[in-house]
Amino acid sequence: MTSGVEPGNPVIVATDLRKRYDDIQAVDGISFEVYPGEVFGMLGPNGAGKTTTVEILEGMREPDTGQALINGIDVSKHPTEVKRIIGVQLQANAFFDRLTLSELLKLFGTLYGQKVSPGELLDRVGLGDRGKSQFVKLSGGQKQRFSIAAALVNKPVVMFLDEPSTGLDPQARRNMWDLIKGLKADGTTVVLTTHYMEEAEELCDRVAIVDSGRIVALDTPLSLVDQLLETGFKNERPTRDATLEDVFISMTGRALRDE
Amino acid sequence: MSVAFSLTVASLKMYFRNRQAIFFSLFIPLLIMVIFGLLDFDRFSGAEIGIVDQAQNETSAAVIGQLSDRADDLVEIEIGSLSEERERLEEGRLDALVIIPAGFGDDGAHSVVEAISDERSPQRAALAITLVAQVMGTVANERYGPPPDQPQIGGFSLEQTSLRGDDRSYTAFLVPGIVAMSIMQLGIFGVVFALLQFRQQGVLRRLRATPVNPAQFLFAQISTRLSISVLQTLVLLFAGIILFDVAVGNSDILSWVMVIALAILGGILFVTMGLAISGFARTEEVAAPVTNLVSMPMMFLSGVFFPLDALPDVVTSVTQFLPLTYLADAIRAVVTDGAGVTDIWGELAGLAAWTAIVFGLATRVFRWE
Repeated sequence: MTSGVEPGNPVIVATDLRKRYDDIQAVDGISFEVYPGEVFGMLGPNGAGKTTTVEILEGMREPDTGQALINGIDVSKHPTEVKRIIGVQLQANAFFDRLTLSELLKLFGTLYGQKVSPGELLDRVGLGDRGKSQFVKLSGGQKQRFSIAAALVNKPVVMFLDEPSTGLDPQARRNMWDLIKGLKADGTTVVLTTHYMEEAEELCDRVAIVDSGRIVALDTPLSLVDQLLETGFKNERPTRDATLEDVFISMTGRALRDE
Repeated sequence: MSVAFSLTVASLKMYFRNRQAIFFSLFIPLLIMVIFGLLDFDRFSGAEIGIVDQAQNETSAAVIGQLSDRADDLVEIEIGSLSEERERLEEGRLDALVIIPAGFGDDGAHSVVEAISDERSPQRAALAITLVAQVMGTVANERYGPPPDQPQIGGFSLEQTSLRGDDRSYTAFLVPGIVAMSIMQLGIFGVVFALLQFRQQGVLRRLRATPVNPAQFLFAQISTRLSISVLQTLVLLFAGIILFDVAVGNSDILSWVMVIALAILGGILFVTMGLAISGFARTEEVAAPVTNLVSMPMMFLSGVFFPLDALPDVVTSVTQFLPLTYLADAIRAVVTDGAGVTDIWGELAGLAAWTAIVFGLATRVFRWE
């Protein structure tokens, strides 16, 4: 199986990352590489260590041992340099109150020393007409899309998305998927954590399955499925060509409801 | 545009769009000032009369005796030497000074009793003068009989003059006190609750994911609060000028510059105190009582509403060292007396010492998450 990613120098190199909190070994020797233009999925149950791993890559947490490189820059040694070239969308989408979306984007631009055109960024995430709204007034899906716009102000080399479609209705989720595909099409490397296997299958070139602070599997979604089938696994449910979600979408349409 | 500047502009925008915050931080101190200013506490206390008895004879003793008999809640009598009582009057501790001349009431001599009233407390001074005049009338009647029989030459009369000192009315005391109090409130409450909210919303975490330097963020917070603090000071002083006829120092540029400089110095001290508090007050349940615990005693024990003299010495021996006492005293010295830098170096040293202490504390306890 090919991943569809051009081989080249990896943009992210994680080598034997370890992080311990009190009596929990949150990250227990994680190593992987992510290539330019790839959408890389981090899957795993809650508490598996995905968020800690991502936070180490984002320069928001120091690993106990191990090394993380982004674009060849050592994250622990030069966190600020790394933060300049990455985009981060956090699970809790927190932005200042009482500023409009346009003002927030301009403010975030200055944090990176960049002049931004809020209109363009908002158009890109489908919020072109909401420039004068405040973040708190947005729907769940709009909030998630805005936080992606805010993460794009510095034209990041790597974009970290933390459960971007959690809590969204099927229409908004599909809209989010289109947005992420658009990022990939623009050549942005994406690291995506998610609980939705369907989302990972749809979007990710490769996925790492993390459990108890270790990577237990890393491959393309398709070959991971093939590997499972080779062990003689048989799905007990009859497979059909459509799911209940397909029914839902066909009956309610793909149009966004949160506008 | 620099990062700290943009963050400052952004947080000023946030502040001015928050009508509730403006109400509580800008309007409430103004309201307190107006209410207390209109109450005019001068009216509620009795008049204090100082008497200098240069006659030391029967007649003077009769006047003093009658005045003392009348001295109930309304008047208080104090007898002393001319220089003592004159000083008291000038300090505003007497409402009227009565000087009974030598040879008062002696046969064949007309003696003039001098009464000097303090214009700064007109109601009480008027009360004092009326009372003295009444008593002198009574004594004259006792001595000479009813008015028609009183000698044309001889006897005594009351001559009234008044002392127009510096304006030291209650509002002149109150306005600088309220200015100092609002600088404290803005600093402590503004910072503690803004940071608490940012922390709870995860704004601080989101900012940590950007290249912004924590120092730039803190700098922006501090400069935002200082801008508001200066604005608030100006609003309160203008209100004092318009409503209560308060003069700012000698009404020259220097006095205004000094007041604004004090608003900034005091702002730095109390914003830093807010940062220190937000270091260990991580939830609203803790932050609210802790900020009140810190600010309430200062509000009432630092001479904001009433002079420290009104408190027992045991209490003032401690409260004279409170940060707000230094700030209130310094602002009051500039506003009321037109003090210059050299006049308030003690207060400035006190503010500097507190700022150093609180800054040390803040750097130890402040945490981002």
